[in-house]
Amino acid sequence: MKKLALAVTLAFAASGALAQDKTIKITGFGAKSGVVRSFGVNSEAAMLAAADVINKQGGIKLADGSKARIEVEFLDDRCNAEEGISVIRRIASTDALVAIGPTCSNVAEPLFGILQKKVGDAGDSGLQFPVFTDVAIKVGLAKISEWAFRNVPNEMTMYNSVFYWLHQKYPNLKTVYGGVEEDFAHSRATWHVVMKDRAQASGFSIAGESKWLLADTNFATQVREMKKANADIIAISAHPFSTCGVLREMQRQGVKPKLLVGLTSSSSLETLQGCAKQAQGIIIPTSFAPVNKEARFAAEETAKKKGAADLHSMAAWENMFILKQVMEAEKISGAKANLQADRRKIRDGLAKLATTQGLLGVTKRDAEGEADKPYLFVQAKGNDWVVLHNPL
Amino acid sequence: MLDFLQAVSDGVLFGATYALIGIGFTLVFGVMHKLNLAYAAASVGGAYAGLLVLGVMAGAPPWLVFLCAFAAGGVLGYLVYLSCFHFIPLGSPLATLMATVGMLLLIDEVIVHFTNGMPLAYPAMFDDVMLRAGELTLRGDLLLVFGIAVLCMVGLLLLLYRTRLGLATRAVSQQSVAAQLCGIRVGLVNAMTFVITGLLGGIAGALIGASVGALSPLLTTPLTVKGLIVTVIGGLGSIPGAIIAGLLVGGFENVFQLFRGVTERDLYVMLLLFVFLVFRPGGLFESKDDHH
Amino acid sequence: MDFYFGLAQLVGVHTLLGLSAYIVLLTGQVSLAQAGFFAVGAYTAGMLTVLAGWHLVPALGIGAIVSAATACAVGFPALRVKGLMLVIATLAFGEAVRLFFFNFDYQIAKGDIKVGPLGGEGFRQIRFFPENGWGTLEVMLFMWVFVLLVMALLWWFDRSRYGTALRAVGEDEVAAQAVGINLTAIKVSAMTVGGAIAGIGGGLYAHYTTHIEHSSFNILVATFALAYPIVGGLQSVFGTLIAVIFVQAFLIEGLRELGDWRNLLFGALIVLAMNLRPNGILDARALAALKRAFTRGRNA
Repeated sequence: MKKLALAVTLAFAASGALAQDKTIKITGFGAKSGVVRSFGVNSEAAMLAAADVINKQGGIKLADGSKARIEVEFLDDRCNAEEGISVIRRIASTDALVAIGPTCSNVAEPLFGILQKKVGDAGDSGLQFPVFTDVAIKVGLAKISEWAFRNVPNEMTMYNSVFYWLHQKYPNLKTVYGGVEEDFAHSRATWHVVMKDRAQASGFSIAGESKWLLADTNFATQVREMKKANADIIAISAHPFSTCGVLREMQRQGVKPKLLVGLTSSSSLETLQGCAKQAQGIIIPTSFAPVNKEARFAAEETAKKKGAADLHSMAAWENMFILKQVMEAEKISGAKANLQADRRKIRDGLAKLATTQGLLGVTKRDAEGEADKPYLFVQAKGNDWVVLHNPL
Repeated sequence: MLDFLQAVSDGVLFGATYALIGIGFTLVFGVMHKLNLAYAAASVGGAYAGLLVLGVMAGAPPWLVFLCAFAAGGVLGYLVYLSCFHFIPLGSPLATLMATVGMLLLIDEVIVHFTNGMPLAYPAMFDDVMLRAGELTLRGDLLLVFGIAVLCMVGLLLLLYRTRLGLATRAVSQQSVAAQLCGIRVGLVNAMTFVITGLLGGIAGALIGASVGALSPLLTTPLTVKGLIVTVIGGLGSIPGAIIAGLLVGGFENVFQLFRGVTERDLYVMLLLFVFLVFRPGGLFESKDDHH
Repeated sequence: MDFYFGLAQLVGVHTLLGLSAYIVLLTGQVSLAQAGFFAVGAYTAGMLTVLAGWHLVPALGIGAIVSAATACAVGFPALRVKGLMLVIATLAFGEAVRLFFFNFDYQIAKGDIKVGPLGGEGFRQIRFFPENGWGTLEVMLFMWVFVLLVMALLWWFDRSRYGTALRAVGEDEVAAQAVGINLTAIKVSAMTVGGAIAGIGGGLYAHYTTHIEHSSFNILVATFALAYPIVGGLQSVFGTLIAVIFVQAFLIEGLRELGDWRNLLFGALIVLAMNLRPNGILDARALAALKRAFTRGRNA
């Protein structure tokens, strides 16, 4: 009889504890197919790793004082706009409170477009769901909707800094020649709107530009143009595949500029895997390198989940911690009945943030929902990205 | 003027890679009168498989990788035959077309799955050799690709016109029923055609990887499109046509790029193809056996 | 529910894409150009609602007319190209259209921002639906009105002389000519109708994704357009609808739980489907069996 009473008491206690086991769902989404698969894989790993760390520390504190575990799911949008829209609607129909993603800028733009533009606008039937982007980096997207926020580096600030620093450090270098991948929104915008502009602002003169397409394989003409221009610095605004193609052709034709500057998102494993030898010395501004304890810890934890830590996946890691902070500050209920109210609170909380704590330092946030992340310059040396200059 | 000549020569040389892919496309179309849209994907897949050699033996010489790609291409060719052509009845050309599309997607996804979509450096031979012809510079490795394309063409023509298998293949392509009546095993001949084009595809994929310097899933679609264009311009079923068309397309592409820039380049290539189709639908070397 | 309405919207747009290839396939022409007509409809309708402030319905109408005109222009040279060569010719045309839009800039200033297509950057902020307060349900119903109208039209064709003529040309051109069917009229008209359908689909696509760019109309889209009627079966318009539901609702959304396996299964299942049912899911035998099932119920 005593044993039975004990068993029953324990059962009650256990069920009580289980009832305490609330979950908060955060869904990640991005590209896990095609040439951009690595981005999705890494972001997912970073999110899972961050969730583990947060859960080990006790989880998220809800409004009623109890703690909830974070549950992470990751959906593949295949870098396709229609699918991305379908995915976000699907996520909104579950009990997820917020989504982290997407990977591709060509998905982000339509996706933000179907969100409600202005909060509280009753005449706007757009989706009311907070999206906190980790990777899609094309300039000026978050302002499309007040439900969209991004934690991506500000390329204007970074390239301004790069060219300024280069001008200071190498005063005898005067000309910049650009190579740009024209058919990808991000790389195209970065050369025409950011690099060209900032290089000129820092006192360089633009010797010209050569264009190619994302999947091109023959760069003979473009590199010949580069050779003729004979600029001191060549800035390549392209993704790893065509960047490697151009660098190889440059080697073949004997084009050796004094300095090489690259595109933010090419400061990853892909470039080194494709053409480490030819990419030696290329300078890229980035918002992540394992230079301090937190950064190294994040990288290790992500590696345990089979993902690589780079500026993109580490943004996803940061997002998880920022969301924890926001959820606790806004006192979300975590109850399924208050789903929409909780989502609204998260949105409001994200909108309020003026600064967030990033892995490299404090990140500023602006009224449009964009971030101004601390950055440093890395350079390809051997088989690694080595910190060249840390302005922090 | 020099710019123009240099652009032409750069383009024509790179066209040798298109020629290689085109030969396989045109052979399958010429023999089986069916489009194998999975051909370029299988070729790239074979090239990727070639890299497995490096996984086993770190410092393996490039020719060993190419050999492995060659063999893998043959295997993939046979798999494509089995999954898309063997079981589907001859009266359903649309079904085979869609099945090859399915295989293209499958092969692409398998590649993406194993490499996480990232480009892989490919071993090259003579990739740093630049020859000079007067004022022009020519890429040594592309000349090698051209040489191999010509060798393949000679080899295939010998196969088609001097061997029993070639005789059987031509018989099946002309009159498959009559060929069966003569005791030729149509299924076996078709399978062999796919294996042979697959072997060729493996080499093509490997050499393209070597010329580009890296393999990426990005290569599949443009190669498929170029291969189809080359097949049409060269004449369906004509191997010498495929080579000449490949060089032509490469040359024109670069010239268009020189004059109108890279964003309009492909537009003009498409229009060139369209013009060809309307005014010379048989291609440069119209096939002698023209029956529908 | 929002999700299911959104999925229904997607199925609707893709059904229109598939039906535009379907009618052309009936005449024996395998066209990979439908994505190009889709693009023409998308950009036209988008420009009319965003730059000229038109209501969506007339914008869709003009989009359909412009696409139909483009298709008609393609239909004539297409007559010269036979069999599978047409696949390549139409592929080239479709790509040419995409590349045209890649280079197409037409922006006007509205207030302090510029709107309109901007070449490689695409055409952003096509917000007719959200700006006019259309909810997901309303958009879905609106789209499906068009889908059902088109399906009804094609269904009616199938029951009329025109439909018989279409299929006759598809079966055997020589025999069709022998009984006096005008090959040119049939083939070009089918291409034109297909273009119009794709144009409507494109216009709807532009508005429900709010942002279009050249890469939204690539070879993959063209291939899907063709895949739907082939996988579904050419015997009936419902074949295409079933194929769209099979691919989009089952393969893409339904298999999402399988994570990475979904993408691998996608290609494999298409290969399998073509091997098991080379004449499509709804082939002649399946259709006959369904008919028997229905009429048996009625007679009993």
